[in-house]
Amino acid sequence: MTPEFHREVGIPRVAAIEYPYGRPVGEVNDRQGQREVLLAALSVFEKAKEPGQVFNLPFTWPEEPKHTDWQPPEISPIIKLHLDEIKALGAKLRKKQS
Amino acid sequence: MMSEHGKVVDGFRFMPPSLSAWIGKDIPDQPYSGKIPWTPLEKPIKEAAFTLVTTAGISMKSDPPFDLEREKREPAWGDPSFRKIPRTATEGDIEVSHLHINTGYIKEDINVMLPLTRFAEFEKEGIIGSLAPTCYSFYGFQMDATALLTESAPQMADQMRRENVAAVLLTPA
Repeated sequence: MTPEFHREVGIPRVAAIEYPYGRPVGEVNDRQGQREVLLAALSVFEKAKEPGQVFNLPFTWPEEPKHTDWQPPEISPIIKLHLDEIKALGAKLRKKQS
Repeated sequence: MMSEHGKVVDGFRFMPPSLSAWIGKDIPDQPYSGKIPWTPLEKPIKEAAFTLVTTAGISMKSDPPFDLEREKREPAWGDPSFRKIPRTATEGDIEVSHLHINTGYIKEDINVMLPLTRFAEFEKEGIIGSLAPTCYSFYGFQMDATALLTESAPQMADQMRRENVAAVLLTPA
């Protein structure tokens, strides 16, 4: 999901997938798609030979990020607490890009 | 980082850029330099007993849900406890308590997060040795993981040992 966290905590084996938060195995009621993801993840158990290896799975989520609706109905407490800081970072990023 | 097909996963693809920048600022640029726990797989997966662990805050309706009220009062605190989820659990048996994701999809199909049905199929088909009787959920928002690591994790590990688990698939929310 967020294999970047591997750099912070060190994970024994990572099967990285670019799927939205809350649905790492796949879409609702998509038995075949879920099986393909899980079989690929299972293969990592036999491919990984040393601690810390990251295996990128090839799957692509069918929706664009803005349509994935993964966020909670209300902003989480920690985000609410730091909202001004987050917005300021966003503004800085937009300025950098323009 | 291994990729047989050229794809390198962007873990922040679904996150707004401002939030990615805020979360990403605490992640080191360099690879992890500490010691990473390692248990070699002792047998082929078709002979191994698996269990599943998720960070999604899933609990059985018969158990207390994860404590979201305290987190609302103390935004840097996340419930460090864990719940056992029997392998037979279905959507009708569970609560999903999580303040950082849309939990609706998991309530529709538990397998998007905790793939109990898919692993039962794999067991039946001989792809894995077995799925253990007990699977687990904890709550992934842990800014201080001490209690999770010192209290919950050893209890989960003990139960896994009692059920002869050889491999664990952890699905982060």
